[in-house]
Amino acid sequence: MALLEQAPKMIQLIHVSKRYDQRSALSDVSFEIGKGEFVLLMGPSGAGKSTLLRMLIGAEQPDEGQIFVHQKNVTTLRRSEIPYLRRKVGTVFQDFRLLPKKSVFDNVSLPLLVQGISSADIRRKVTEALRAVGVDHKRDQLPAGLSTGEQQRVCIARAIVNGPVVLLADEPTGNLDPALTSEIIELFKLINARGTTVVVATHDPLVMEQVNRRVLTLSQGTLLPERRVMG
Amino acid sequence: MWTNRATTMVAIVTTAFTLACVGVFLLLYVNLLAAAGWLQDDVKIMVYLEDRLSSDSVADIEQQLRSDQAVASLLFISKEQALGEFKAQFPSESHLLEGLGQNPLPASFVVALSPSFHSLDAINRWAERVRQVAGVSKVDYNQDWIDALAKVIHSIELVAIGIGVILSAAAVTIIANTIRLTLFARRDEIAILRLIGATTSFIHIPYLLEGAVLGALGSALSLVMLKFMYELFRQQMRATGRFVGLDNLIAFLSPSVCLALIALGMGLGFAGSLVSIRRFGEAKA
Repeated sequence: MALLEQAPKMIQLIHVSKRYDQRSALSDVSFEIGKGEFVLLMGPSGAGKSTLLRMLIGAEQPDEGQIFVHQKNVTTLRRSEIPYLRRKVGTVFQDFRLLPKKSVFDNVSLPLLVQGISSADIRRKVTEALRAVGVDHKRDQLPAGLSTGEQQRVCIARAIVNGPVVLLADEPTGNLDPALTSEIIELFKLINARGTTVVVATHDPLVMEQVNRRVLTLSQGTLLPERRVMG
Repeated sequence: MWTNRATTMVAIVTTAFTLACVGVFLLLYVNLLAAAGWLQDDVKIMVYLEDRLSSDSVADIEQQLRSDQAVASLLFISKEQALGEFKAQFPSESHLLEGLGQNPLPASFVVALSPSFHSLDAINRWAERVRQVAGVSKVDYNQDWIDALAKVIHSIELVAIGIGVILSAAAVTIIANTIRLTLFARRDEIAILRLIGATTSFIHIPYLLEGAVLGALGSALSLVMLKFMYELFRQQMRATGRFVGLDNLIAFLSPSVCLALIALGMGLGFAGSLVSIRRFGEAKA
């Protein structure tokens, strides 16, 4: 399988399989994603999309196969090395995972705080990230005071504040209406245009319609033949 | 710590009570040890001489004792002085000795040993050595008393260690449970921190510090409680009027022991946190 030989590989899966008890979550999955690509990972619920994304950040280990992210073999990383991988990979969650008692600013500053970055740099980078997603004016509010779309934007700001090389999004539009879905997808396109590799896992056909990119489809843990959607 | 204020307070107070129990035994032990020290300091060894010993021989023995580096002071009591003392102390029984016709009481030296020879072992060894001296008939001191006290101290030492270990384990468990509640309450935050690249030490250190602070506060509070009980006890002793002077001899734990107890509390708290974090980490792994 020779995918995107012209671009440096950002993500590479080689014969990856994962089982939970007797159920197969992923079965012999291999693919490559080049630097700066925007890829949709499609498939119904339970197809193995979330498992795959969790494996890319070392939250799960495959039973078989190997996974490379940014030239690091995730399957052989020591536990102590995983945090450093995660600092290069921004993650956006369907349920946002924002800290309810922290302001928008504090939530977005967390990835920088854990790296011991100076408060002046934190202020600058968080402001940039909040401006990039258009919620800078809400910086002092608590997440509960924001709309669903705004919460997802804050979550995206937190994922990009570090300047990650890869952005992973797990069903980022699962809780959003079609108009908000379009806004979020446009945001991802913008982030991708700045050179960040973007992988969006979704089962939402609306997302697929809006993204003119590579589509990897999972069905019951198996990767189906690849296609490209023309928007 | 302020997330679960009530739980934190309960943990500190419970830890304080637990450590105060350890402290009571420690206080008892320290004071008995001091009492043993005073008794040993106060030990007067009676070196009885054989009857009909010439004055030269007595002088020889005296010279030998005086040149002994273990001997701090020496007092000679002649047969006559001994009889005089007996009569003075037991006037109603003095007729018993008169019936014997001659003075049956031996001459003796009352010896006080220097401080470096106050241990029970040193006293025993010295007494054994002097028994061998020609002209010495008997060496006597309140050995039973010292032996009994040493046994009591040893028993208290064992009980204190046993109770200390059990109660320390209890303190670790109390703090471990408190930290576990905190970890549980913050599990979402911890999960998020992990996902955004926080290292294990970044996540764990605040909880380890929290445990150590809980332990130290519990320990400090236990010392306050102990000091209060100690003062109350002394006051009661004074009030009864029976133990005049004794209340001043009972000592509280020295500042260095107090600091050591706070450090112990800190260590126990740290250990409690570590236990919880390990279990929490295993559950999340």
